[in-house]
Amino acid sequence: MRLFWVLFKKELRAFFVSPVAYVVLALIMVLSGYSFRAALSILERGPSEGSIVQWMFQPNWFWLSYFFTFPLLTMRLFAEEKKMGTFETLFTTPVHTWQVVLSKYFASVFVYAVLWLPSYFNFHLVDWITAGQVAIPPGSLKGSYLILLAMGLFNLSIGCLASSLTSNQIIAAVVSFSVSLLHFLGGLFIMVLGRKVSETFVDITSYFASMEHIRTFTSGLIDTRPLVYYTSLSVLFLVFTHQVLEFRRWKP
Amino acid sequence: MIDVQDLTKQYAGRTAVDRLTFQVEPGQIVGFLGPNGAGKSTTMRILSGFMPPTSGRATVNGHDVFHESIAVRKSIGYMPEMAPLYTDMRVKEYLRFRAELKGLSGRAMRHRVGEVMELLAVTDVRRRLIGHLSKGFRQRVALADALLHKPPLLILDEPTNGLDPVQIRQVRELLLSLKPAHTILLSTHILQEVEAICDRVLMIHHGRILANETPDKLTRGLRAASVVQIEIQAKGDDILTKLEALPNVRKATQDAEENGWRLITLRVEARQDVREALMDLVLKQNWKLRELHRQLPSLEDVFVELAAADRAK
Repeated sequence: MRLFWVLFKKELRAFFVSPVAYVVLALIMVLSGYSFRAALSILERGPSEGSIVQWMFQPNWFWLSYFFTFPLLTMRLFAEEKKMGTFETLFTTPVHTWQVVLSKYFASVFVYAVLWLPSYFNFHLVDWITAGQVAIPPGSLKGSYLILLAMGLFNLSIGCLASSLTSNQIIAAVVSFSVSLLHFLGGLFIMVLGRKVSETFVDITSYFASMEHIRTFTSGLIDTRPLVYYTSLSVLFLVFTHQVLEFRRWKP
Repeated sequence: MIDVQDLTKQYAGRTAVDRLTFQVEPGQIVGFLGPNGAGKSTTMRILSGFMPPTSGRATVNGHDVFHESIAVRKSIGYMPEMAPLYTDMRVKEYLRFRAELKGLSGRAMRHRVGEVMELLAVTDVRRRLIGHLSKGFRQRVALADALLHKPPLLILDEPTNGLDPVQIRQVRELLLSLKPAHTILLSTHILQEVEAICDRVLMIHHGRILANETPDKLTRGLRAASVVQIEIQAKGDDILTKLEALPNVRKATQDAEENGWRLITLRVEARQDVREALMDLVLKQNWKLRELHRQLPSLEDVFVELAAADRAK
């Protein structure tokens, strides 16, 4: 556990010393800022259905650009170490592979969580400025950030795996971006097709239809199925990452 | 300290290390000598627990490098080739991080980091980014890293690579000073380095051991012809013939002539010394001699010979 913290600290430091964290932070602030402004403009139109939280998190374009954050956060995790040769110095110290995997993964999760903090304060700012005139359903707000975190865990674990497969950061970024986006679009596509295919098919795809999960959570419903889905897949991808790194030790 | 039995490592279609067997006794400095691609780095990586052998067995300090990898890593300080470091960290910060990884903490950790920085003379650059340091400093930071946890065994892959002559001497002196407490396995392709500090030489070529000797024996016991150079003043055209008539002289060639002084190179049969006979001849012929010098076989000669013998087998 001690070694986990040593590695975790070093990874966090690497994020904030390099420009990566700030670039991604800027990206997310522009993105969520614009969404927030769009959500506020709906308020101006007079009474409408839904809440400001839903208007912010439900537009598709918001989610499409959201996938740019994961490759940026995860591409260097292992690829950089391999490229620079520090992979060798790292794994010739008495550390276990799982300690390295978990420390790198949770460092990226931590940074990801920090990136969404400003957008969270936006809601409180509106609440304070308008003296509570704008309805911000607390369940809806909590649900939104919960699904953001769950999807983050999942997509970061994909990025982690992608980075462990190569020594080239660009390749890692492209792989993680493609897989994350395909997963998202897959769910979206089926939902659009919805009525043209059989009911059972739609039922099955609802398990991985991210947009559907987002609708549920932003409306304030906490459904445990997507949470289990995302966290268990994250664990699976981290196990894969571990195996990829350990393969070096086992391959004849 | 190190016990290697029939170690073999194959990469896709290529054998990098071929049934290597050797031992290293505690307290020794052993030089791993061979050209690039001979299998030095591969062997060191296996010994450091970074990757497994295809077959065979290696133990370090009594621990199997594959099955007890963590125990092995605790007892070695390993410095890979090219000294890879985190270029975005500062020297002190990096060494502290590495020390913590190796199990040191608190005051003991800070003290030890200060100690190795002094030892490797990197204290002055402790606040600089590693990425901004010269090759020599980086090499020394990497060496400091390897020494952090006072490992009984140091495995150093080309520790003096990229250093200037003064730094090379400093590193050699440092390694010699570590000798009683530490066993050192270092790789190099420089013969003088081996002669200067090593107790034993493991010469390796195409993944196989060609020789496992003390440096003295390696150069003396060679069959390779040695070379004697003389500079004489003499008249006549038959000088070369007279020289070649000496016992054990294979061939005499004149390299240059300047103001009547002739620079002549004699190739001599292996393990034979012709210098006395040569002196007698010079006196008898009444030649003037102003230089007489014997060259021992170079690493290149040693190598060519051992490799040829290996091929013949």
